[in-house]
Amino acid sequence: MEIVPKIHVRSRLREMLVRLTAYVTIVVALVVTLFPIYWIAANSFKFDIDIFAVPPEWVPKNPTLKHYDEAFIQRPFLRYALNSFLVAVGTTIVSVCFGTMAGYALARFSYPWQWRRQISFWILSTRMMPPIVSIIPLYLFFNYFDMLNTKSALIIAYTAFNLPFATWMMKSYFQDLPVELEEAAMVDGDTRWGAFLHVALPLARPGLAATAIFCLIISWNEFLLSLIITLTEQSQTLPIGIAGRVTQYNTYWGEISAAGFMACVPIVVFAFMVQKHLVRGLSLGAVKG
Amino acid sequence: MASVTFKKVCKKFGEFVAVNNFTLEIRDKEFLVLLGPSGCGKTTTMRMVAGLEEATSGDIYIDADRINGVLPKYRDVAMVFQSYALYPHLTVEDNIGYPLKIRKVEPAERKRRIAEVARRVELDTMLSRLPKELSGGQRQRVALARAIVRTPRVFLMDEPLSNLDAKLRTQMRAELKHLQHELQVTTIYVTHDQIEAMTLAHRVAVMNKGVIEQLGTPREIYNDPRTLFVAGFIGSPPMNLIPGEVKEGIFNSAGFRVGGFARANISRAVLGVRPEDVHAAPVEDDDVNLVAPIYSVELTGENTLVSLRLGGQLMTLRADKNFTGQIDEQIGVKVATDRVFLYNGETQDRVDF
Repeated sequence: MEIVPKIHVRSRLREMLVRLTAYVTIVVALVVTLFPIYWIAANSFKFDIDIFAVPPEWVPKNPTLKHYDEAFIQRPFLRYALNSFLVAVGTTIVSVCFGTMAGYALARFSYPWQWRRQISFWILSTRMMPPIVSIIPLYLFFNYFDMLNTKSALIIAYTAFNLPFATWMMKSYFQDLPVELEEAAMVDGDTRWGAFLHVALPLARPGLAATAIFCLIISWNEFLLSLIITLTEQSQTLPIGIAGRVTQYNTYWGEISAAGFMACVPIVVFAFMVQKHLVRGLSLGAVKG
Repeated sequence: MASVTFKKVCKKFGEFVAVNNFTLEIRDKEFLVLLGPSGCGKTTTMRMVAGLEEATSGDIYIDADRINGVLPKYRDVAMVFQSYALYPHLTVEDNIGYPLKIRKVEPAERKRRIAEVARRVELDTMLSRLPKELSGGQRQRVALARAIVRTPRVFLMDEPLSNLDAKLRTQMRAELKHLQHELQVTTIYVTHDQIEAMTLAHRVAVMNKGVIEQLGTPREIYNDPRTLFVAGFIGSPPMNLIPGEVKEGIFNSAGFRVGGFARANISRAVLGVRPEDVHAAPVEDDDVNLVAPIYSVELTGENTLVSLRLGGQLMTLRADKNFTGQIDEQIGVKVATDRVFLYNGETQDRVDF
């Protein structure tokens, strides 16, 4: 009678400890990731003098929309945001379209010898060098075609960097889908293209969503290529605009915070929209009884 | 309605020969079963008819049309996959209607035909469900309904019952047989389950290592197995295959003697006899072929399976359900000499005498 409760107590204590550790880890992770966002959000509503207050002013005491006015009305941050939006969406559409088709081809078609591996590796290897290496050739290329300071140049450059990842993500997604589903569609009277469109693609929706958000984030946040390729207000993107507020004489922390906070919003909204697709499991129940 | 003809068909995957010089004519309206162990090439053979694999050499015809290189969609065959391969994002109704939709059948006509086959396979109350909301047996029916919703020239079925539990399998087997009889569509059915093959087929092609070992009606295959492989594969429990030697017409293996093989002398022989052709007899009878101790006694209900120790192996006989022998008890055995088969252990072929 004595032994049973003892073991019982010990295992409950252990379970509590495990839970406690898990919660503490989660809280630390949340603070580390969310605090900077909270901090720029808070700063964007403070007067310049309060941003550097000691001790720190955790909650803005005299909230103001001054910096939003400066950034989005007086300075062309709306223009930058629009540029960012067009470039990010354009890049995402092109990358996901081509990445999906390339990924499908790599996942499904048969290749002589080891070509599937070779081609896949070659595609990925284009991401292995640092982007700075390709900047000068890209600059000369766009200069030659008179495409500097255009959004299409940015879309082309970003697509070149996003496509390998999009291809690989979609490839692994298609490889996880049971091939019999497409075979069944073909025997049922579909072409290969039809089977891809009617069966494989709808089932790969979670993969498409994940790939799209990945491409969107990368292009939305990209700084280096945009800095080199674009010089005019008509073509520059948000990160360049924000960085531009660090000037020779002054750093406009308020404007930077306001623009930076607003730059987070679209990505968060989009992530919420595709959230349910990011969860796997649509193809459960397809095979086996 | 159509016949399917294979002419010297080979299929290689790299160096591996999956199907070797395969020649077979499947008649119109026939239910042909390709039977064999896994890896024998039976599924590959079927997939070549569907157009999911291309023959490396040889020709395949449906009726007079040579179908090598023809896209699956133009072959007009329907296939039931082992995994059912239901489209998980479509409802039962859309799954069944998929082949019609692809063929641009009018929505009204489509609906009518879906309702008709759904009633036939008893799915009419589940049309709006998704595959994941169905039981294994129901999914199997959806797969079947998708195949019969149009009238293809050939049905292909790749182990369609293997994912069902034993009871449901027996039931679906009967339904499949009835359906094929009713629809009168040429059917190729792949299985490794010899009971399915025996019960369903008009003819069975027993395959091993990419070739047909024997082609015949289930009765022929069972009563007249022409190779050692077929003898061992067909029957449950399987045929007793006892290695030994034949000297001057008498087979001998560890005290088990069977006579009557005129003139034969074979140093490596295998004697085959089905459990139901081996009978228990009193030990003191003069004409018993073997006296051996009982190894185990298993009552199956309709009869009793008795295993005897014979040299290093077991010999099974099917005795009456009232058999009373005990383990380790010595019993005598008589075999029906007109029901034994003798095989050459080297060539694996039957020796007729």
